[in-house]
Amino acid sequence: MSEAPDLSDVEAFAAEHALGVLDARERAEAETRMAKEPAFAAEVEAWRHRLSPMLDAIEPVPAPQGVWTRIEAMLPANDNSAVMNKLRFWRNSAVGGFALAAASLAGVVVQVTQPPPVAAQPPVAAPSQLLNASLTATTGQPQPLFVAAYDPDRKALIITSLLPPGADRDKVNQLWLIAGQDKPKSLGLIEPGKAKIIALPLEVMAKMSAGAKLAVSIEPEGGSKDPNGPSGPVIGLGELSRL
Amino acid sequence: MAAAATTPEILSSLMTRIASGEREALRQLYQATSSKLFGVCLRILSDREESEDVLQDVFVTIWRRADRFDVTRASVMTWLSTIARNRSIDRLRARGPLAYAGQIDGLEIPDGADSAETLLSAADDRNKLQGCLSELDDRTQKVIRTAFFEGVTYETLARNMDAPLGTVKSWIRRGLAKLKGCLQS
Repeated sequence: MSEAPDLSDVEAFAAEHALGVLDARERAEAETRMAKEPAFAAEVEAWRHRLSPMLDAIEPVPAPQGVWTRIEAMLPANDNSAVMNKLRFWRNSAVGGFALAAASLAGVVVQVTQPPPVAAQPPVAAPSQLLNASLTATTGQPQPLFVAAYDPDRKALIITSLLPPGADRDKVNQLWLIAGQDKPKSLGLIEPGKAKIIALPLEVMAKMSAGAKLAVSIEPEGGSKDPNGPSGPVIGLGELSRL
Repeated sequence: MAAAATTPEILSSLMTRIASGEREALRQLYQATSSKLFGVCLRILSDREESEDVLQDVFVTIWRRADRFDVTRASVMTWLSTIARNRSIDRLRARGPLAYAGQIDGLEIPDGADSAETLLSAADDRNKLQGCLSELDDRTQKVIRTAFFEGVTYETLARNMDAPLGTVKSWIRRGLAKLKGCLQS
């Protein structure tokens, strides 16, 4: 492995930050960059991931009794009731505490750009651009509730719900594509808190272009009964854009 | 503790529950991961009392920042261990320059060799990284390990190894590039 190519300056900086050799000023600079540049943050994460197996080799040591009690005493007061969480969640789709760092988006992108598991790639006559969207709350603070990435090579849309799982068992979240003047097209149901890969037929792929919108509505079990689109409130909305 | 039954999926779902403010989920996460994280703190700090403080701090941080955890990320454990490592290194740095410099005297890194645990483990990632590290020359390997476990800056490394800063920098950069190439092969 003698002739490994040199790291670019940006990657070297990310790697050095992950390794921990930067001085205080450079560390601060790296942290600022991570907050501002998803690609840089993803690079640092990738290096942390590469290096973290060194930590795996460390033997676990049971923590002394009493640490947990002290932790518990330090936690800020919160409502511990699932019912309260549920109410808070559905009453107010701002969904406190679910702000998504830009890095999450980068995470999605990284995942999407990995080569598809199956090698066979039939030719596809559809737009070949990676697109992504952040679906933000339609009321209250514009916090991201879902992130989506479209990968034409995988012929799939990857959508990640940032909502707490099991928030409301009687309702489902339904994803819609709104392209041009077409009526909303259902892309399926999304489980709260889960990431899902939705395989897209060619005719839907043809509509995945920058400017098309994705929306999520709250529907009764089984999805919207309205053939023309959502029957419940739309909680998240976002526009597809090029990476 | 109850680490045996813990899968990455369970950890991910705990993180999401913690982000929505569920204390019980944090307690379960503590049960599943505190031994591992305490081990990380101890490895870096070599001091039980300080390690307890840091462990406490790590879990309060997780509680506050669980909403920033990226649900699409591969490993909760990596995220948690990284927090534990970074906090321990912060603490190490806070001990002051003298104690700090003493830490890396001789660059002795005890767990570099294949321990029984490493050999027994089925963790491919670990074995692969181990293999790739061992392909680096001894000096580069030691510098990288020291930097990783002790968070020493280029400057400190250079001073302790009595080598020019630029030279140490290029050892590490070249070592990291090789490491990346090896991990990808």
